[in-house]
Amino acid sequence: MATLTIGRIAMKIAGREAGRYCVVLSNPKDNFVQVTGPKVLTGIKRRRCNVEHLEPTEHQIKLSEGATDKIVIDTLDKEGILKKLGLKKPSPEIVKGPTGKKDKKPEKTKKETPKEEKKESPKTEKKPAKKVEKKVTKPEKKSAKK
Amino acid sequence: MVRRMLRSRSLKRSQKKVPGGRTVTHFRREKPSIAKCAKCGKDLKGVPRLRVSDLRKLPKTKKRPERPYGGNLCSKCMREVFREKVRK
Repeated sequence: MATLTIGRIAMKIAGREAGRYCVVLSNPKDNFVQVTGPKVLTGIKRRRCNVEHLEPTEHQIKLSEGATDKIVIDTLDKEGILKKLGLKKPSPEIVKGPTGKKDKKPEKTKKETPKEEKKESPKTEKKPAKKVEKKVTKPEKKSAKK
Repeated sequence: MVRRMLRSRSLKRSQKKVPGGRTVTHFRREKPSIAKCAKCGKDLKGVPRLRVSDLRKLPKTKKRPERPYGGNLCSKCMREVFREKVRK
């Protein structure tokens, strides 16, 4: 029977992710291994998993310990396992999402947003001035009614 | 005379003592049987024992466990199903 080593493809047997394929990313330690779908591919997120909740398949790929999701998907595609398991390769735009590169960009945009808020602050000063004008108009109407 | 609807013997009856001292019969519908595993016949947990009208008031997540074959197979039998699928 196949053993759970790095690069082994296994099926999750327990829990809400049961019946989905995943790739083992670390050797068993205290009955636990690290596992990933990757999430974009099969829906199993990168997580720790009990060995008893996994059923190893005959398929194996060459991976280094703790490989990124993008590398895992590329090697799965190269070795033709995606076709064997009947999985569709996700588009590269979706695959890039969870990697660390995009996480840095939003920080820059966050810094930009407070600057815009400062620009808006003068607008708020203008608003009370408008209200004063309205107050002036109202008494005129009342006087007309009388 | 009770209401005609309540004369059916399929209704469960219970004798209750009311604060005024009278004893009154209360009527209620029978509960459905406990859900069973389709493979081994074991009682399923996490599946409420309610009539359909009451089940409709519950959200989907409270009607069965949220795993494949939830509410149909027990967890042991579900694992066997997937093990067999991989070993073929």
